[in-house]
Order: sequence, then C-alpha cells, then structure tokens
Amino acid sequence: MLAKFVFFFITISLLFGCSSNNHEEKLAELDKVYGKCDNPHRQLRPLEYEICKDKEAAAGPDGVIDNEGGMIDGLFSFGNDNSGAIYATASDTNNFLWDASLQVLDNYSLKISDFDGGYIETNWIQNVKVPNQRCLVKSHVTSKELISTGIKIKILCENLFEKNWYVSDEEFYEEEKQLTLKILQVAKEIKEITPQS
Amino acid sequence: MKKLTYLASAVAASFGANAYADVSVSGSGTVGYVNGTDGDGNVVTGSSVAFGLSTTTANGITISSGLSITVSVTAENAASPGGGQSLTFATGGATIVVGDISVADTPGSVGGVAGAMTVENAGFDSDVQTAFDDDDGTGISLSTAVGGATVSVAYVFDDDSDSQVNVTDADSGASSFGISLPMGAYTLSAGVADHDSGESAAGASVSAAIGGGTLTIGYSSQTMIADPTAGVTTGFVTTFVTDAAPAAGISAGTDVTTTATTGTASADDLSIGGDTEVIGATYAMALDADTSISVGYQSAKDADSDSTTQFDLAISRSLGGGASVYVDMRTLSGDTDGANGDGTAFGFGTSVAF
Repeated sequence: MLAKFVFFFITISLLFGCSSNNHEEKLAELDKVYGKCDNPHRQLRPLEYEICKDKEAAAGPDGVIDNEGGMIDGLFSFGNDNSGAIYATASDTNNFLWDASLQVLDNYSLKISDFDGGYIETNWIQNVKVPNQRCLVKSHVTSKELISTGIKIKILCENLFEKNWYVSDEEFYEEEKQLTLKILQVAKEIKEITPQS
Repeated sequence: MKKLTYLASAVAASFGANAYADVSVSGSGTVGYVNGTDGDGNVVTGSSVAFGLSTTTANGITISSGLSITVSVTAENAASPGGGQSLTFATGGATIVVGDISVADTPGSVGGVAGAMTVENAGFDSDVQTAFDDDDGTGISLSTAVGGATVSVAYVFDDDSDSQVNVTDADSGASSFGISLPMGAYTLSAGVADHDSGESAAGASVSAAIGGGTLTIGYSSQTMIADPTAGVTTGFVTTFVTDAAPAAGISAGTDVTTTATTGTASADDLSIGGDTEVIGATYAMALDADTSISVGYQSAKDADSDSTTQFDLAISRSLGGGASVYVDMRTLSGDTDGANGDGTAFGFGTSVAF
C-alpha cells in the first residue's frame, strides 16, 4: 500500500513537472470530441455530471443556450432557422474576454482592434514623469470559451537613447499577470450581467 | 531600468485586480414519462441545486468546491444533501482534485447514450458483471497536458470512505491512468485501472469525425472478482413465533423459525472470476443548431459466459431558455436477471438547466 502510494506520488510529481501550460486548451479540444460532460479527463461529481448533461442538452449542438423560443415553436421548427437559434460564428474569440479587454484598456488609444483574430494593441503609452520611456499593451484572446488561459497579455517598452527608441529587454511578468487577472475578473462580471444567449 | 519598470508598473497598477471569491448557484429539473421493460408507464420527476464555491488566488490558482441538494430520478426520493467532500485546484497547466474521487475503471467502454431518467427507471437488470464493485473514495487525481496529450491519473486510498481516510491502514485502494492523444483526424484514448481487491481494467477507444458527426469505437477488458456469496448461504436469521394462531405443533412465544440468508441471483452477477470484455460504438451528430441525435451499441460478456447486447437511441432538442426535450430508447437482450431484466424501454420528457 505504502509503496503503491509512493509510486503514485512520484508519478504525479513527474507529470506536474513535465506539464505544459495549455491544459485548458487541450481539455477544450477533447470537449469537442467527447462532449464536455463525457470528457474522460474531467473529474465531475455525479450531480455535476447531471447538471452538465442538462446544460449540454439545453445548449444544443451549437453550444449556445438561446433566450427565445417557446415549447410549441421549438418542437415544430425542426430544421428551421427561424427557431431563434444563434449559430456559432467562425471566430474563435470569446465575447466576454473581448469585451473585458476593451473595457480594461478603455483609457488608452487603440492602434489595432481585430475581433476575428482576438487581437488588441494600444498605441504607445507615455507618462510625462518618464519622458524617455514608452510602453504599449498587446492583448490576444486565444479561446472561444471563457477560460483562465484564454487571454494572453504582453507589455512592450522602449527606451529613448540619442533620439532613437530601442526595445527594452526587461520582462514584465508581474504586470502582465496583473492585467490578465483584471481582464478575467471583468469578463466574469460581464458574463454574470449578460442574459444567457 | 528602474524608471522603465515604474512606467510598466504604473500602467498595470491602474488595472489593479484582487483575488476574489465567488459563490454560484446552478441546478436542473426534469420530468418525464418512462415506459419500462415490464410495459408499465411511469411519470418521474427530479431536480437538483448545486452551490459552487470558488476563489482565485493572486497567483492565478482557482480553488473550488461545491455542495448540493438533490431529488434523484432513480426512485421515490425526498431532497437529500450531498457534495462538499472534495476540493479542486486548477491552474493553466493542471487540475488537481483532493477528496471524494472516482477512478476510471471502465476505460474504452462506450455505447450508452440514453439518459439516466430512462435507463434508471426502465427495470433493466443485466447479468453481466462490468466495472469495479466500488470505484470511488477518498483520494487524489491529477489531469494535465503533456506535450500534445492529455493525461489523467487518480488514486483512491480507500473506497470505504469519502471525506476522511486513514492512509496508513487503508487496504482497499484503487488507481487509474488515462491518456488521450489527437492523431490527425482521430483522437485516441487509452487507460488502465487497478484495485487492491485484484480487479483490474484496460481499454482504448478511437474517435473520428465522419459524415458530419463523431464516431467513437471502444474496447475494454476488465478482470473481475467473483462474488464469494453467490448462491451460498451466508447466515441464518432466527425469530420467535409470534402468530396468535400458529400452525399445528408450534407454540407462540417459545418456538422459533430459522431463515437462511443466501446471496441473491440479482446481486451475484459473477460467480467465476475472470475477464469481462466490452465492445461498443457511438455515433453522435447534429441535425440542426438545436437538435442532436446519438446512437449507441454495446456488447458485453463476462467470465460466466453471460452476455448482453444493448442498443441506445437518444434525440434531444433545445427549446431555448435552458430547456430541452428528449426522447430516449434502450433495447437490452441476452442474459439478464428477473422476469423483465431485458427488453425495450423508452422515455420522453423535458429537462431544464438553471
């Protein structure tokens, strides 16, 4: 028993050490194959599984729980686009993460705003207190679902030296993490106040 | 350099985010009609409410748990509480669950698509032993991505406990390992499982997008332990005669009756330990944006040479607002227990997700 547990603990530690940072993306890919509820790599409690199956049935194949649609209309509109269904678009950009990114970066001038690609880039941000430096923020929504790894933030900064701007080698992990958490927080708030659609 | 850090920090500081906790409530309700294998019709209802508790730490780890109140569809039930026996830790790289977990004891076993409302109330009673006698208990599981694959491991210290376990003296543990790997147009999943009782399982399945839907074919081999009480008298129950007018020759209050306790035919699906093989396939496709149809086939045979064949059909249509209607059907043939253990059952109804 003890040997078995030690072997298992070592296995878990090795797997955790070798794990890549795209676990949520891989789970989302398997959700498309097996369905989220029947994904063998999701540890769902029995009640969670039942609620998941009901939500899956309510959402239908397009994965969207519609607002409208009466029972009679729904039963007899088989194959009819007038059912009020919202079809999934070709974009892989989660709407909540996109709206949250725009809201969080609202105080800055935007250079690029591309919903299809999920990409936002601000213009150079400068502060009068630090005239020889400038930074910009890049935001990329990488997922169709609202997941913690669905947003990537990159902060780039440049130094002014002899009238020329040079890219700084400094990394801003903490600042990028702070921005990421803020966007996730706002996205969650937007989702909660948005009617199911 | 410091001033540059100041500028970047000043930008990020304007978006100050704090770790926050969240309590969410979700639930479901369902009502349906089930025509069982005995030909009787039943109206069944069930509902549940789940309280999700979660918090995200400053370094991005989401910790969650949940409790629930459920009215089960399996029988006449009052609302019963549950959950609260595990914690889930999720990062971008892994998900760890500590507490009441289940091992994946039927790897590669596919074929069942009919809903629980119909299946649990239809009266089916297969005589083929599949799956471990007990696959859940207090333990720990990990799911993570390694390269292009998704890997899950689970370890249960003792299947007799759900929220507390003596890890030193635990002697009824189980473990499982599973991996899923995309290979071009196909997705391959394989797994193994083991139990301290001597039960074990291994299996694999392959999925592919075909004809607008998804086809999944699977094979599972499970080494089962025979029920030691199968058909054997395990004890006696002795009671005093209490009849006011007992049979001739018997005195009330002094004579006794003795009844033997024997392993029932329905409980002992397996009398010879050995391998159970399960072969199955499912095909699921969308008819339109709101309607889905799934069919499933499964054939199983155990070491007793008992075998069954099962065919499932499930149709579901979303009505909007979280509601859906469904039609399920299952046909089970082969070696079953009881007078109506096999046959065809169907059910239809509506379910709502809140």
